Amino acid sequence: MPDIMDYLQFILAPQMLNGLALGISVVLVALGLTIIFGLLDVINMSHGEFYAVGAFTALALSALGLNYWVLLALVPILLLPVGVLVERYLIRRVYDGGDRHVSTLLLTFGLALVIEDILKIIFGPNTHRPATPLPGATEILGVFIPTYRLALIGIGFVVIAAVALVVYRTRLGAMVRAASYDRNMAASLGVRVGWVYSGAYAFGIALAGLAGVLLAPIYSVFPTMGHDFILLAVTVVIVGGMGSIWGAVVAGISLTQVQAISALIISPVWGDAIIFGVMVVVLMFRPQGIFGRIGHA
Amino acid sequence: MTPALETRGLSIAFGGLKAVDAVSFSATRNKITTVIGPNGAGKTTLFNLISGGLRPASGTVMLDGRNVTGFGPAALQGSGLARSFQITNLFFELTVRENLGLAAQTLDPVINAFFPVGRRGRAADKVDELIERFGFAAKAHELVAALSHGEQRRLEIAMCLASEPQILMLDEPTQGMSHGDTEETARLIRSLSTEVTVLLIEHDIGLVMSLSDHVVVMHQGRKLSEGAPAEVRSDPAVQAAYFGHG
Amino acid sequence: MLDRLDISLRANHVLFVILFTAAFVFGVMASMTGDRFYLRLATEALILSGLALSIDILLGFTGLLSLGQALFFGVGAYVSALVLREVPSFWLALGAASGASLVAGVVGGLIANRVRGVYFALITFGMAQIVAKIIYNTRSLGASDGLIGIPVVEIPLGFVTLSAGNPLEFFLVVLGGITLIYAGMSYVLSSPFGRVMIALKANEKRVPYLGYSTWAPRMVAYVLAAVIAGTVGGLYPMLRGFVSPELMFFSASGDALIMVIIGGSGTLVGAIWGAILLVAFKSVVGSWTEHHLIIVGLMFMAAVLFMKRGLIGLVKPMIERRLVRIEAAREMRKEGKAP
Repeated sequence: MPDIMDYLQFILAPQMLNGLALGISVVLVALGLTIIFGLLDVINMSHGEFYAVGAFTALALSALGLNYWVLLALVPILLLPVGVLVERYLIRRVYDGGDRHVSTLLLTFGLALVIEDILKIIFGPNTHRPATPLPGATEILGVFIPTYRLALIGIGFVVIAAVALVVYRTRLGAMVRAASYDRNMAASLGVRVGWVYSGAYAFGIALAGLAGVLLAPIYSVFPTMGHDFILLAVTVVIVGGMGSIWGAVVAGISLTQVQAISALIISPVWGDAIIFGVMVVVLMFRPQGIFGRIGHA
Repeated sequence: MTPALETRGLSIAFGGLKAVDAVSFSATRNKITTVIGPNGAGKTTLFNLISGGLRPASGTVMLDGRNVTGFGPAALQGSGLARSFQITNLFFELTVRENLGLAAQTLDPVINAFFPVGRRGRAADKVDELIERFGFAAKAHELVAALSHGEQRRLEIAMCLASEPQILMLDEPTQGMSHGDTEETARLIRSLSTEVTVLLIEHDIGLVMSLSDHVVVMHQGRKLSEGAPAEVRSDPAVQAAYFGHG
Repeated sequence: MLDRLDISLRANHVLFVILFTAAFVFGVMASMTGDRFYLRLATEALILSGLALSIDILLGFTGLLSLGQALFFGVGAYVSALVLREVPSFWLALGAASGASLVAGVVGGLIANRVRGVYFALITFGMAQIVAKIIYNTRSLGASDGLIGIPVVEIPLGFVTLSAGNPLEFFLVVLGGITLIYAGMSYVLSSPFGRVMIALKANEKRVPYLGYSTWAPRMVAYVLAAVIAGTVGGLYPMLRGFVSPELMFFSASGDALIMVIIGGSGTLVGAIWGAILLVAFKSVVGSWTEHHLIIVGLMFMAAVLFMKRGLIGLVKPMIERRLVRIEAAREMRKEGKAP
């Protein structure tokens, strides 16, 4: 009996808590992705690169002496104009050329290649390890958990709640959802659809950047850091239902828990295969995901 | 004589709205039957139920006395039914000839599917004939996207004829056409009715009255009335629901 | 007069003949100067061009974006490698690679063709990731190291026997293989069945009302593409002497997609040109800077934004106009009205 208690306390619980930190992080990346898909019908293949851009921007600015907590607010704001420019001058050009899903997917795929190489040119291919802003560990139920991970879980929950509040409870969110549901109708009601689109894309990019800043102290910073992460985030978006915020939260947290626990039971190396298996099965039988879309829910 | 096409109690609802509600009617062979009714009466939904685009919640569709309820569009096309669309629905990146070729190539035996598209054979002859008949000779190699609206509408009809159907369903064939084009299309439809059974959706009441052998009036998903054009016109219920407004 | 699609296919043939001739001349000249490196590189480019071509069958003609085509390339490569380690027979290995990719294509097609559009793209991506991860973690398949020690094979062609160890001979074998694949696919696309594939891309919703199943031609296109990718994948271990899980990773599928888009989708020959250009570009630019990715990315975006038919699209319309004139002149002569 004590063995089981020890297992729960010292192995399973920390593993699940680490899984939760990862889950929150994935949800943050997935949020931007799901908003962009739900509203613009665009699979943003460069999302992982914007996540890396956020991390590197924080890295560069902190070298200039800026405080970490300032960067947490500043970096997403800096990414907003980038998002607006990308949407206005690149993505918008291929909205109406044939198959929008395919053309925008391809365009953002090309953009990802470019951004990745720009990061390599500026920062070099090496891995950076920023110092954690909250060193030390906190004891919970007799187990020590790095303090920053706990803070990350807390901050993550606040950000997710704030995003959900904006999208589902404000006038701005209502406009965004209206534009997503019926573009022409929204335009005739006076919604400036063009700006809503740019704004939504920029918002999504800013969220990716925010995730980059938050996660940099835990996972290291390198130009291709978005690759692995984005695969998980895409899976979360699909399983949760593309465009659904609650779907992304539920799927993000449960899938990372599945991964964390399966790592204990089977082996950590099978985590990815299991996650992608879930994605394929969901796509086969319920391609719209577990939850609906932003405008349609 | 079995009617070419018959529906019995055809129904479907979207959400709570009964888009088509227990509609029964029949179309006589080689006659023109027209479905009319105000916007939202369920005409196009009725067409979708008959042509396999939608599966009816209840009711049956019979072609030549054979029950084809629940057949998909491809199977129905194979049973001799062809339809056009209210919103032009063609292969815009292909030429007129290629569009017609696609529609006609079911005429050739299946084995031909594995040999290069030929210049000879029943399908090729049919394409030549339709290009001639619909006046596309000068534009046979134009992309459909480059055609005028009227030409695209005419090609819609030609596409339906390419497979030599027994039943031709035309959803507002004259939609958006100029006056001259409309008259020409009406002449064309009349000439067709010697070879095929025509089921038509049309808004132009003058055209309906002069063209149709039989008229079915729909209102709010239900069949309000049917009969010869003159009968329908004098039906008080129809006048109240339909002609009364315009 | 010919249909536009026929003219388009003929223009592709012209571009293919140019490529074939250039490749042949290159091969002979490289061999005369005693080069091995560039012949090997060119052979690899041709093998990858088969993978790119299989993506173009789906994207350029049937309208399906596959983000996991390297899955079938990898299946072919691994099966070929496994066979070669037991029995060093060229035809057995190639046959096994084709057969395995046929089976994988049918299974993958049944899964992926349940959905459309962006969901199709993501499901193909997911399938490739799963299989890549399984191989990566399977000891008996060499795990992350892959399979090494694949022997050099003899290639009996009936009238002559060539060796995969001879750079020129293997280059010519692969060139011949790509020519067969190109010719075979051109034939399929010129048939009524090919027209239905093209119709699916142009306007899928209309197709069933013309009496065709939409599922069957999509499925056939998918399986054809899988077999082509698997067959050229079977050639890979003969060239390199090893296979590794990286062959199935997203970067491999992504590279092949770049070849198609930059070369020109919907042309078959564009994929082949694209593969050769990308491999050549990476080798030339890669020799003086690591940062070729930014240029590739910019070219890719430019192709998506401005050149829907890729680099091929810059010359193909000229060839088509020329062909139309030639054809018109011929018809005039036939009707006895000599110009």
